[in-house]
Amino acid sequence: MTRAAAPLVGLVLAAALFVASRGLDAVAREGQLGPGFWPRLVLLGLGAACLLKAVAEWRAAGRTAEAVPEPIDGARLAAAIGLIVLYVAILPWAGFALTTAGFIATFMTLAGARSPLVIGANALLGTVVLLYGFVRLVYLPLPKGEGVFETMTLLVYRTLRLF
Amino acid sequence: MIEILAHLGTGLLAALQPLNLGMIVLGLVVGILAGALPGITMVNSIVLVLPFTYLMGIVPSLLLMVGVYCGGVFGGAITGILFNIPGDPMNVPTTWEGYRMSRRGETRYALGLAIMSSAVGGLASALFLALFAPPFARFALGFSSVEFFSVVVFGLASVSVLGHTSMAAALVSLFAGMFLGTIGTEAQYGVERFTFGVPFLRTGVDFVTILIGLFAIGEVLEQMVLRRAAGPVERPATAVPRLPLRALWPLRGPLARGTAVGIAVGGLAGAGATVSSFVSYGLEKQFSRRPELFGTGHAPGLVASESSVNGSTGGAMIHLLTLGIPGSAATAVMLGAFLIHGIQPGPLLFTNQTREVYTIIAGMILANVLMIALGFVAALSFATLMKVPAPILNTFIVVFCVLGAFALRNDLADVWLTALFGVLGFVMRRYGLPVPPLVMGVILGPMAEAYFLTSMVSSGNDPTVFLTRPISAVVLAASALLVAWPLLARRRRERAA
Repeated sequence: MTRAAAPLVGLVLAAALFVASRGLDAVAREGQLGPGFWPRLVLLGLGAACLLKAVAEWRAAGRTAEAVPEPIDGARLAAAIGLIVLYVAILPWAGFALTTAGFIATFMTLAGARSPLVIGANALLGTVVLLYGFVRLVYLPLPKGEGVFETMTLLVYRTLRLF
Repeated sequence: MIEILAHLGTGLLAALQPLNLGMIVLGLVVGILAGALPGITMVNSIVLVLPFTYLMGIVPSLLLMVGVYCGGVFGGAITGILFNIPGDPMNVPTTWEGYRMSRRGETRYALGLAIMSSAVGGLASALFLALFAPPFARFALGFSSVEFFSVVVFGLASVSVLGHTSMAAALVSLFAGMFLGTIGTEAQYGVERFTFGVPFLRTGVDFVTILIGLFAIGEVLEQMVLRRAAGPVERPATAVPRLPLRALWPLRGPLARGTAVGIAVGGLAGAGATVSSFVSYGLEKQFSRRPELFGTGHAPGLVASESSVNGSTGGAMIHLLTLGIPGSAATAVMLGAFLIHGIQPGPLLFTNQTREVYTIIAGMILANVLMIALGFVAALSFATLMKVPAPILNTFIVVFCVLGAFALRNDLADVWLTALFGVLGFVMRRYGLPVPPLVMGVILGPMAEAYFLTSMVSSGNDPTVFLTRPISAVVLAASALLVAWPLLARRRRERAA
C-alpha cells in the first residue's frame, strides 16, 4: 500500500500544477492555442500515468509481497549528499581552488580511501590540473571566492602562472 | 554516376593534402575530447574552432569543422560507456546499453562496438551524401513541422521499450521529464511558466544539468552506499578497446537499420542526431527477437544508436550543401564558415565549386575512416581511468559534474540543479522508476511542443492535419503500433500462461 502512495502524491502535484497553469493563457490571441496548452496536456498525461501506476501498485499489493530495495548505508548516503551540498554552497564564498581541494580530500575519505598520501596528492595535484585545464585552457571564470579567500585564490593563480 | 565518382576521386586527392589531412585529424581530436566532456557539447566545440578558420581557406576550414563534427558526435559514447556520463544527449541510448556492458566486464567490446558502428554509420552517410544528395534534399524539403512533430512523437513513443518492468512507471517518468521541459519562458508569447518567481528558472532547465545529475551523480551515490552482497562492480583486467570486426557481422541488421535511420532523420532539417538515436534505439527493440534484453547491456541497442548518431552527420550535410539550409545546429555554424569565405551554399554549389564540395565530402569519408584509429586511441586513454580505484574515480566524477554544469552558463544555479537531480536519480533507481524516459521527455518534449504549435498555427488550429498528411499519418500509426505492440504481446503471454 505504501508504494501506491507515491504515485498518488504525484497525481495531487500534477493536479495542483494543472490548476496553476490556468492563468497562463490570459495572453493568448483569439482562436490560438495559448502558452498553457502544452503544459496542461503534459500534466494531464502525468496525472493519468500516476493514476495508472497507483492502480497497478494497489492491485499488485494484494497478490505479491512488496519488493524490498537493496540495503544501503544510510549514514554514508546522508554524508555524501551533505558533502556535495556543502561543496556547492561554499564554492562562491571560498572559491573553486580551495573548496575543491578540501572536497576531494573529504569525499575521497568518505568513499573509502585510507592513505593520507594518496588523498593529499590527489587533492593537491587534482586541483592544480583542473585549474590549468579549465582556467588556463578553457578560460572558464571559476568562482574565486570573497574577501580573504579571493586573495588566497589569486595568490594560487599567480603561483601557478594562470594569469 | 561515373562523373560523381571522378569528382569524389579528385576530392579525395585534395583532402589528402597535408594541410587538409592535418585539419581533419585536428578536428577529430578536438571533437572527440569535447564530445567526451559533459558540459562542452559538440556544437560548442564547432563554435570554438570557428574563429580559427578566419585565416584559412574554405576547404581546410570546413574540413576542420567536419572533423570536429564527426569526432564530437562519437566522443560522448566513450564517457557514457565507461562512467555512465553521456557527453551529449545524443549518446544517451548508447550509455543505457554500453555502461551495463561495461559493468558486466565487457568494456573493451562495448568501446570497440561504439567505435566501429560510429565509423560505419558515418562512412555510409558520407557516401550517401556524395551519391544521392540532390534528390534526397528535394524529397526532405517536402517535410513540414507536421512531419517533424510525428517523428518526435515516434521518438517519444519508444518510451514503451524503456519501461522494463512497468509501462506505467516509464510513463510517469516520461511525462515528468516533459513537464520539466516546459519550465521557463515560453518562446511564442514570452510568458514565464512554472518559474514561481525564481529568476534562474526563466531561461529554463538545461537538459545537460539533468543528464549529468541523473546519470553521473546518481550512479556515484548508488555505488558508494549500496551494501552489495555480491561484491563490488566487476572491473575488467584491461579496458583496451577491442575492434570487433568479426563480431560486427552478426550485428549487421542493427548496424544497417541504425545507419538508415540516422541518414533519414539527419536528413530532415531540424531533427538531428539526438532524435535519430532515440528513434533508432526504439525501432531496434521492435525488430529484436529478444526485446527484453534491451536496457541490460545489449549490443544491438548500442550498435543501432551509435551508428544512427554518426549516420545523421551526412544527412544533416545534405541540406547545407544542396539547399543552403542548415540541417542541425552544427551545420548552422558551418554555414557561417561558408558565408565568412563569401560562398553561399545551395544548388549552384555543386556546379560552381565542384572541387571544393567534393573535397569536403571526401574529407567526411576520410574523417570517419581516421576516427577508427583516433577513437581507439581516445578510448584507450579514457579507459586507463577504469584502473583508478573507485574512491578516487567517484570523487573526480563529482568534481567534473560540478565543472560541467558550471561551464554551461557560468552559473552556480546549474550546479545546484545538477546536485538536486543527482539525488533524484538515486531515488528513482532505488524505487524502480526508470531514469531514461525522464531524460527523453526533457530532450524531446520541447521539440514536440514547438513543432506541434507551429503545425497548429499553420493549419488554422486543425488537429486533423497530423492525420491528413500521408507521411505524418504513417509515422503516427507506427508510433501507436510501437506503444501497443508490447502491451498486446504481454496480454498474449498472460493468456497463454
